[in-house]
Amino acid sequence: MKILTAICVSLLCLLIPDQDSRAQSFTAESGYVEFVSSAPLLEFKGTSNHLTGLINLDKNLVDFYVDLNTLDTGIDLRNNHMRESYLETDTYRFAEFTGELVSDIDPDFELEQEVTVTGTFKIHGVEREIDVQGTITPKESGLQLDAGWTILLEDYNIDKPRVVFYELASEQDVNISILLKPQD
Amino acid sequence: MINYQLRLLTLCILLITTLPDLLMAQLERRTADIDESVSLTFMAPRNINLYTVESLSKGELHYSILHTFGPVNSGARNLFGIDAGANVRFSFEYGITDRFSLGLGRSSLDKNIALSSRIALLRQNPAEGMPVSVSFVPSVGINTVDPDFLPGNYIPTDRINYGFSLPVARKFNDKLSLQLSPMLVHFNRVGPELNIMDPEVNTYYSVGFAGRYKIKPRMALSFQYIPPLTDAEDLNANLALGIDIETGGHVFQMFFTTSRALNDPYLIAGDNGDFFAREFRFGFNVNRLFQLN
Repeated sequence: MKILTAICVSLLCLLIPDQDSRAQSFTAESGYVEFVSSAPLLEFKGTSNHLTGLINLDKNLVDFYVDLNTLDTGIDLRNNHMRESYLETDTYRFAEFTGELVSDIDPDFELEQEVTVTGTFKIHGVEREIDVQGTITPKESGLQLDAGWTILLEDYNIDKPRVVFYELASEQDVNISILLKPQD
Repeated sequence: MINYQLRLLTLCILLITTLPDLLMAQLERRTADIDESVSLTFMAPRNINLYTVESLSKGELHYSILHTFGPVNSGARNLFGIDAGANVRFSFEYGITDRFSLGLGRSSLDKNIALSSRIALLRQNPAEGMPVSVSFVPSVGINTVDPDFLPGNYIPTDRINYGFSLPVARKFNDKLSLQLSPMLVHFNRVGPELNIMDPEVNTYYSVGFAGRYKIKPRMALSFQYIPPLTDAEDLNANLALGIDIETGGHVFQMFFTTSRALNDPYLIAGDNGDFFAREFRFGFNVNRLFQLN
């Protein structure tokens, strides 16, 4: 009985966070994200400067999200449509990605390096497993992460406007550019 | 005894393996702290004929073609006024900043070319306690009719007219927006050669009342009422009822209106039929928005 209690207590002690574990954590709250729609007659972008992200090397956790109400395509009427009728941001407010690094990473970040992450991308209530390639470049204040991938609107049950004046492409290029700073 | 200890051990192991994931998990999802000022009080920068409080974004170009036809009570043989041909107004408006835009338009009625500006003074913002949006829309127009149709002693500045409106609007909810538009217009020279009712009054004023009510996500009912407040002969109220349809980059507006006019000075000073005696006209507007960067 006493031995078992001792074992339980020691196991519980493992829960105490290790002081060093937070040194390899990088976050940011105003990263840049854009989607680019290139249809035959019209190309336009939706952008936001509210991308929030976290890379935690110890836990191998990559986590990003953006409030879709911050996406701006430059035309108020189009933004309103996009949020209300197509992305339905009242119900699905965020686009999110959670995953892990699957490429070898130099934890000292001396030079620019290519990285690959794998994880779940979620938008409009639909989750999909995706792989994303990116580049991490060391800067004086942190790590600059640039990455991009492509999504298909129908994969996420996002409707396309029926009247084709709008010219929205099925395939959207998503790009992010974010400077992550060490969290302490 | 042993059962109890085993259960406790199992619980500890479960905790050890799952809690770290829970503790060191994802970022908390927080909504962004963004400008919550109300946008899209109206679907387009114009509601039927009146300028609305909607300002354009910087770099946005609003192009519109407005039409009105002959009176509906001219009967089926005249296709309810369509045969009378249209008064057409083309207009372009460009956003210089998010609060200031410049516009240029031309109406075929009296061949009036007008330069206008729209300045957003206040924006409705519930978070900051601002209950309404207010804009200022000054315009200056010039009648470019052939001199042969004007009295011989016309000088160029006689052809000029001015319009000022101060739309004040409130978006009550997703469906209902209402606007009051105090308006003042002035014609430098008046006379029977102009398409206005009283050839002796130069300055007119009124307070227009406009609104829209959304019946479907991209369709709304719209209305407009401009009472004849000026002390001048033969003025009637302007009344119009219509439907707005958004299709992404376009807003189509179809309506019945008592005036053939498509710009402020002529809306107030010109002919307005009696709506209830079917002296109204069919009209439609096509509004298109472009982003030029």
